[in-house]
Amino acid sequence: MTALELVGITKRFGQTEVLSGIDLAVAEGEFAVFVGPSGCGKSTLLRIIAGLDGQTSGQVRIAGANADGLAPAKRGIGMVFQSYALYPHLNVAQNMSLALKRAGLARAEIERRLTVAAEMLELTPLLKRKPGTLSGGQRQRVAIGRAIVRQPKLFLFDEPLSNLDAALRVNTRIEIANLHRLLGTTMIYVTHDQVEAMTLADKIVVLSSGTIQQVGRPIELYTAPANLFVAGFIGSPKMNFIAGAEARRAGAKTLGIRPEHIRIANENPRWDGVVRHAEHLGSDTYLYVRTDTAGELTVRVAGEAQAAVGERIGISPAPATLHRFDDADLRLAPL
Amino acid sequence: MTASAPPPVGAAARRPPRPHIIVFLAPALLVYTAVMIVPLLETLRLSLFISVKNETVFRGLANFGTLFFDDRYAHAFWNALRNNIFFFIIQMLQNPIGIGLAALLALPRLRASAFYRTAIFLPTLLSFVIVGFGWKLILSPLWGVAPSLLGDVGLKFLFAPYLGRESSALTTLGLISVWQYVGVPMMLCYAALIAIPDEIIDAAEVDGIIGIEQFFKVKLPLIWPTVGMISILTFVGNFNAFDLVYVTQGALAGPNYSTDILGTLLYRTFFGYQLQLGDPNMGAAVATMMFLIILAGVCVYLFALQRRLNRYQF
Amino acid sequence: MRCSAGSTAINSKLARRFAAHAVLIGYTAVALWPVLFILANSFKSRRAIFAAPLALPGPGSFDLVGYTTVLRGGSFGTYFANSLIVTLASLAGIIAFGSMAAFALAEYRFRLNTLTGLYLMLGIMIPIRLGTIGILELMVGTHLVNTLAALILVYIASGLPIAVFVLTEFMRTISDDLKNAGRIDGLSEYEIFGWLALPLVRPALSTVAVFTMIPIWNDLWFPLILAPGESTKTVTLGAQQFIGQYVTDWNAVLAALSLGILPVIMLYVLFSKNLIRGISSGAIK
Repeated sequence: MTALELVGITKRFGQTEVLSGIDLAVAEGEFAVFVGPSGCGKSTLLRIIAGLDGQTSGQVRIAGANADGLAPAKRGIGMVFQSYALYPHLNVAQNMSLALKRAGLARAEIERRLTVAAEMLELTPLLKRKPGTLSGGQRQRVAIGRAIVRQPKLFLFDEPLSNLDAALRVNTRIEIANLHRLLGTTMIYVTHDQVEAMTLADKIVVLSSGTIQQVGRPIELYTAPANLFVAGFIGSPKMNFIAGAEARRAGAKTLGIRPEHIRIANENPRWDGVVRHAEHLGSDTYLYVRTDTAGELTVRVAGEAQAAVGERIGISPAPATLHRFDDADLRLAPL
Repeated sequence: MTASAPPPVGAAARRPPRPHIIVFLAPALLVYTAVMIVPLLETLRLSLFISVKNETVFRGLANFGTLFFDDRYAHAFWNALRNNIFFFIIQMLQNPIGIGLAALLALPRLRASAFYRTAIFLPTLLSFVIVGFGWKLILSPLWGVAPSLLGDVGLKFLFAPYLGRESSALTTLGLISVWQYVGVPMMLCYAALIAIPDEIIDAAEVDGIIGIEQFFKVKLPLIWPTVGMISILTFVGNFNAFDLVYVTQGALAGPNYSTDILGTLLYRTFFGYQLQLGDPNMGAAVATMMFLIILAGVCVYLFALQRRLNRYQF
Repeated sequence: MRCSAGSTAINSKLARRFAAHAVLIGYTAVALWPVLFILANSFKSRRAIFAAPLALPGPGSFDLVGYTTVLRGGSFGTYFANSLIVTLASLAGIIAFGSMAAFALAEYRFRLNTLTGLYLMLGIMIPIRLGTIGILELMVGTHLVNTLAALILVYIASGLPIAVFVLTEFMRTISDDLKNAGRIDGLSEYEIFGWLALPLVRPALSTVAVFTMIPIWNDLWFPLILAPGESTKTVTLGAQQFIGQYVTDWNAVLAALSLGILPVIMLYVLFSKNLIRGISSGAIK
């Protein structure tokens, strides 16, 4: 069954169109990630799904039924916010059980759900504490717990990891993935970080300027990006783009090659150039090469590469890793 | 669950009604409109009429003509207006003193800052009755407090019955009002000054800009919007003044109307006194003049000055 | 960059500090002395007041005769109660109506939002006294003359503009996520206002309370015009008329003045911490 269906969603603020004709279907149990740069409309879309904002036209269908006109509390959703949004004057247990009390659930049932969620998220020792006394990571777990106890049909995450520091971000990311495995609920997750998208998603929806650029599994977006935007957005460091004569020779307006797909080639290099800058991370080396014919290219070499700044080197792409893009920035079939 | 056919793409989604907006706004709007706006409009309207034998007759701007030129009212009106302007000029002293005090109080790590602030703000809390009568007693020649105090510092010759003399009564009242209200610009400028990020002050210190120069070149420009706002509020408050004069000199604003300001004139014109009956229409005319003066000042402030007072975002 | 030798730099800084304190102490004395003077003399006998006005009340001069006259001479208990009722009721109205309006203006996007805000806030620049004639007509028409209700309505109307101005700024700082979380949890808009938003703007409420409370308590104009009756007199009006009546009885006058000073000081001490916090957190910009 389709857990979520968006039909022709458009949103206009005054004269500005923020979302244009979004069509999407998310299957039950899927983990869908909306990803895109700031201002692409992903948060607006999430709020429309939640019912916090109304769409200008189009329809939102949750679990097969039209959700228009339904208040957020009645849509069967749970939402986790970037700023956690915990009620400052309630303790953890009260934060998590407020919605259930509002819905009129029996006290025993509320207790039961609270205990289960608290155990799942390791919140049991914190139940009597107020949010002000908790760390960022703990607060985020309480926010997730608040959503879990409602047993929603749809979980909405609005950039939940953005306020956490780097190490905590990785841990919480894994916890969210585990949670999805455990609960099996459909999850819609919004982020601007393509790493989070790649690691968490069953299906990634790439958005830019209010339109869907591509929908697909992470590996699909990596190996077969539909257009220049997706190609440049997914993958870090960013894909190298080559325009001009070099691209025309291959029959395209733009060529794309990922840094990790370029090797140092001593014999018959495709491109020659000078190493302008080198970054040594131990696990990888990033070489920034000013080539003679293909502009500036970033090369990622596994391990420690012995290439000095100012040195002349030759580089070549690995077989079948070159992407071609036409005049409309759409991907051409590989040669 | 029934599957309903999706509406044609492009159909506008209906926004659910939001009655709570009206509920939130209604009480404030109702009270404000009924008790503040409507009476004000009524006053403006009344100023255009005169009452003849219990009937109101439209007279256009005739009342204003009477107010400006007729012997019965004109002398009092122009006198009151002149006094009001003079009173305002004296009241403007309040701002530099308040800003100066605030500048001192906002110095970093100034000890007892809270005590000074509380103490200096205290007179602002007192009612006009206390301030007016208190100072009247202190300055009273009968009691002899002021003369002996001045005598202690060798300035006894300066003493005179300030409040009882035509030439000095208004000035004295103005100074008393400054004494009372210095707390307001002080508090507001203090808050504005401590909102200036420490880093800007540190940068100035490193550049060698310290002390008074620092205040005039760095701090003051950054709080101009607050100073502007205080000035316009002083202006509005001044033309609204009544209580202090009423308390110290009575509704007749003696001696010999030397302390008569528009507020006391309004009171007397509307309610009447001694020999003259109250006249609501003329009273309305006085009130309308006060309104127009205040409006003029506010417009000058909003359109001419406020744009120049840059509001800096930190 | 100017380089000054270390010791002179410290000396000049000390000198500057000293000067600053000197000025502040000087002005504090100017501000406080008249008040203390009145308070001190209110406790002295008539003879002592004239003989040694600058002396503190001592064993020979201590006398409560002023206070006894005051308490006998006017029904100050009633006046005080009236002032209290009027001030507290007006404050309640201002805060309740003002915060509701501020919440609506800050939270919801609707066509007349900006205009409504401007309409309410232009009252800051217009003194309500100018409409007195109309207000009196209104009160006469609704039979509210000589009632405390008339005063309360007038003070609410006059306090709303500044309250809405200050509170709207504060309401805007409340995180949208928090309000949305409440909506998703099923809280009604009214609950979000009263239960979520209002507690979060508490410093601003204190600021508004102090700034509006003082002029209401001390006002002479409206009690004089709208409610001069004996049973509805406020303490400010009562004191003014009492003093006018007893003007030659210096003890009584001083005692009456002192009785007016003390409650204000107490209230201020109670609220001053919140007031500073409210102002400094950006209530007045």
